[in-house]
Amino acid sequence: MKGSWIQYARGFVTVKLAAGQPGAFLNAALADKLELWDLYYDKDEKLVFRVTVPDYFRLRPLLRRAKGRTRVMERHGLPFQMARLSRRKTFAGGLIGFVAALYVLSTLIWNVKVEGISRMSADQVLAAAKAEGVYKFQWSFRLPDTSVIADRIAGRLPEAAWVGVERNGTSIDITVVEAKKPDVTAPESPRDLVATHDAVVTYIVAENGRPKVQTNQRVRKGDVLISGIVGEGDRTKAVVSKGEVRGLVWQEYDIVSPLVRKAQAYTGAANDRKYLIIGNRALQITGYKLKPFEKSDYRSDIKRLAWGKWTLPFGTWDEREQEVVYQEQTLTAEQAKEAGLAQARKQLLAKSGKGAVIRAEKILHEQTENGKVMIKVLFEVEQSIVSERPIVQTNQLPGQAIQGE
Amino acid sequence: MPRLVRKLRNWTARVLDLPQDVVLDLPRVTLIGGIQLTVENHRGVLHFASDSLRLAMEKGELEVTGRDLTIRNIGPEEVLVEGRITGVLLSKEAFPPG
Repeated sequence: MKGSWIQYARGFVTVKLAAGQPGAFLNAALADKLELWDLYYDKDEKLVFRVTVPDYFRLRPLLRRAKGRTRVMERHGLPFQMARLSRRKTFAGGLIGFVAALYVLSTLIWNVKVEGISRMSADQVLAAAKAEGVYKFQWSFRLPDTSVIADRIAGRLPEAAWVGVERNGTSIDITVVEAKKPDVTAPESPRDLVATHDAVVTYIVAENGRPKVQTNQRVRKGDVLISGIVGEGDRTKAVVSKGEVRGLVWQEYDIVSPLVRKAQAYTGAANDRKYLIIGNRALQITGYKLKPFEKSDYRSDIKRLAWGKWTLPFGTWDEREQEVVYQEQTLTAEQAKEAGLAQARKQLLAKSGKGAVIRAEKILHEQTENGKVMIKVLFEVEQSIVSERPIVQTNQLPGQAIQGE
Repeated sequence: MPRLVRKLRNWTARVLDLPQDVVLDLPRVTLIGGIQLTVENHRGVLHFASDSLRLAMEKGELEVTGRDLTIRNIGPEEVLVEGRITGVLLSKEAFPPG
């Protein structure tokens, strides 16, 4: 029936025309544009119809003219329900109370979320938000516009480059973009730069502090190269000395190099076997007939079934057995020596730090014995010879001699 | 309706292949399996009883016969009747000339 909810809202009644001429009444009602529906005759041949409540009161003059009398059979719709509700006061109170509670609870802020923080703590942001009135169980109508809140919270967080506030119903999302800060350099205490090795200085540049040595000067281990004490007489001051000092350092090496070299090589022959893994057991599927090699090297490739983040106890295992031969190579004394020296050079450069260069090498002693070549060699390496030594500040009177100078 | 207008409308309906009820204000009766009947373009109820319903048309009358007839809904243009409908009768004047 069209617009039935409108009829429900206005309320409608089922009416029986208890007395009077139904035909005359019907025509009069239709002529009056009264809305009647569900018209039928009941067992007693009385007209029964439905009509909205306002129209029912407009029926009266028609009935008087048609000499009719009506009896209301049923009442439907909101007005009657309301009347019934008003009799059940507790129920009506509960109904209204529920709606009111739902409304009140939905105007509260239930959740404050902080996103995008890594260095700052969420508590820090929440505290700033709380100071601006954004906290759990706050009334949402007491909050100003989100952009205003965002500005105010940003004002309270100097570490944040940008703060965004978004309200989604009863929850508030605070997005913080942290300001990038330059790396903090650790404060350094005053220091001297001293020699790490006995050396001949080849290069010295002092960025800070006072150089104490010159190029081509011989220094001993622990000698001050760049002093952290600057100034003269009464006006001395300890500073963080900085600079680069390079020097020639001599290193003696004893090298033992064998004349026979063993090497492992693959022949190229391989056996492939496949297994099926169930739990911690493997079932071989292929390669039963393959004979294992005398010497071999195994490589395994295990793939397990995974479902999301779980690894299932099923998988495949591809095994490759590669045949290996051991080769022996006999070297001449010269080749063994070269190999030993090359090894020694690599070790030396790795040990001497960045930018080290081998300037000269001299073989002091060479001997072939028991299938080995034994060499003693002296390397001359140009490398950085700087190490830091802090200046211990004591309560000295200014101008007093400082030990170690 | 003036004669000329009616002729023009008749002609339009024929040429443009339009349904006649749209053009000529004729009643449209839809009967669904003897249980539901819709009459459009009626001009009021003349008589209603549980076994018959007479409706006024633009020209003539339409009578619905049956048992336990119920007027489900009645509007200025449309009547919806339910019940056990046994017949729909159109009076002679209901046929347009021509």
